[in-house]
Amino acid sequence: MAMTPKKEKLTGIYISTFIMTVLGVVIGIYGPSRLMPRSMSDNMHLSILTIVVFTVAAAPVAAGVYAVSLHALRHWTHRGDDVPAPAADQTREHPVLVTSWVLASTLLTVFLLVWGLGALSVDNGGVGRNPLVVDVTGQQWLWTFSYPGSNVQSPTLVLPEGRTVEFHITALDVTHGFWIANMGVQIDANVGTTTEIHTTPNALGTFDIRCTQFCGLNHAYMVTTGTVVTKDKFAQWLASQSTKA
Amino acid sequence: MERSKAFATALVSVLLGGGALALAGFALASAAPHQQAQVCQPTTPGNCSLTISSFPDSLAGEHGKDGGAHPDWVSYSNFNLVAKANTTVTMTINQYDSGGTLNNKAFFGRVWGTTGGTAQYMIPTAAGADTPVQTLSKVDPTNIGHTFTLRGIPGNGSPLFVSVPLPASPSTNSVTVGDSTYGSPVKVTFSFKVGGPGVYEWNCEYPCGGSREGQFGYAMSSFGYMSGTLTVK
Repeated sequence: MAMTPKKEKLTGIYISTFIMTVLGVVIGIYGPSRLMPRSMSDNMHLSILTIVVFTVAAAPVAAGVYAVSLHALRHWTHRGDDVPAPAADQTREHPVLVTSWVLASTLLTVFLLVWGLGALSVDNGGVGRNPLVVDVTGQQWLWTFSYPGSNVQSPTLVLPEGRTVEFHITALDVTHGFWIANMGVQIDANVGTTTEIHTTPNALGTFDIRCTQFCGLNHAYMVTTGTVVTKDKFAQWLASQSTKA
Repeated sequence: MERSKAFATALVSVLLGGGALALAGFALASAAPHQQAQVCQPTTPGNCSLTISSFPDSLAGEHGKDGGAHPDWVSYSNFNLVAKANTTVTMTINQYDSGGTLNNKAFFGRVWGTTGGTAQYMIPTAAGADTPVQTLSKVDPTNIGHTFTLRGIPGNGSPLFVSVPLPASPSTNSVTVGDSTYGSPVKVTFSFKVGGPGVYEWNCEYPCGGSREGQFGYAMSSFGYMSGTLTVK
């Protein structure tokens, strides 16, 4: 009389998946806002929100993969030289499981695609009326800023709160990368051409502007300070700089 | 037995790899140029003065009279500057080199961050004779020898940005500096206030290094020639 193989219990996988999903969701919700630079613009807020949504959406998938992997390492590892016989209780066909997996993966991927395109569309949307144009010049190893319409140039960037800023960016020597982490702004500065990117500062305070392209000896020091001030203070600053020029 | 052997092999590999990396790090650190500090000399309470030079080669500065590894590279005489915290530094730069046009004429042709937003310039005649000192806030950006551009390293000092253009020397006479001869220098003097302790980085913003894109290769891309630090203690 043949023995019926004992059906393997997979309860551990389900519990691990649940625990790691909860952990992933918690990290997804609370991690980005604590690990990423302080948001000072709508662009950065959208970037952080996108990372939160993507992390939460990916949490159950990652948890399932990790749970099965850990279970396999613990229970399905064979030690010794002889090749073990195939387990008698293998699941070879399971249409419901396969359909569910394909369907869930497809829905998840489509959701991420739609969200990503939507976020990109918002990010690349119009600049609205009366944007403040700032010309940004990168060169080894300094950023300089000028404000068209005035004769103001500055080694630091000063922006008004609540007004859309359109950066016109170029480089004089090699390729640099214009990056304001707090505002979710990053674009290359290329020689002989002008790239454009815009943002709307929505929080007062200071931020760093860094170069993201390795551009030579003092690349690490190609960091400049920026400040977001009220519209009144910005007007005062611009006027004071005009008289200096 | 097999597992412990594999573990021991992995451990030894990691230790050997780490040791090799540490040795390489020490070798690179010891190979980096260490220059004697040029300390800002106190003049009156709260003030000090510092004098450096810029040369068309490396024969008259800290690289020694043979010019070190690259005697033909342009250089500043010193690149390890030191000043006391919360003092006003009065700096004089003797600029011996010829020059050309700045990349960013409008910006680096201006004097930035000095007391009064100006610098004092004495540009000699072609024969090397002194001329009256001029107090200027900008100079001709198409005839620049070098710039002295100093800025803070974020998180490592008080905010500071100083940039002073140094005109090309028109002089064709010969003056001796060490064992070398050059034309008479342009003398540029300016003052700026340093805050609390920190390290500041300075370099030249005139594309004088040759090679590569933007002429920022060679002397512009090696420590100890056209860049250095100001350490505020």
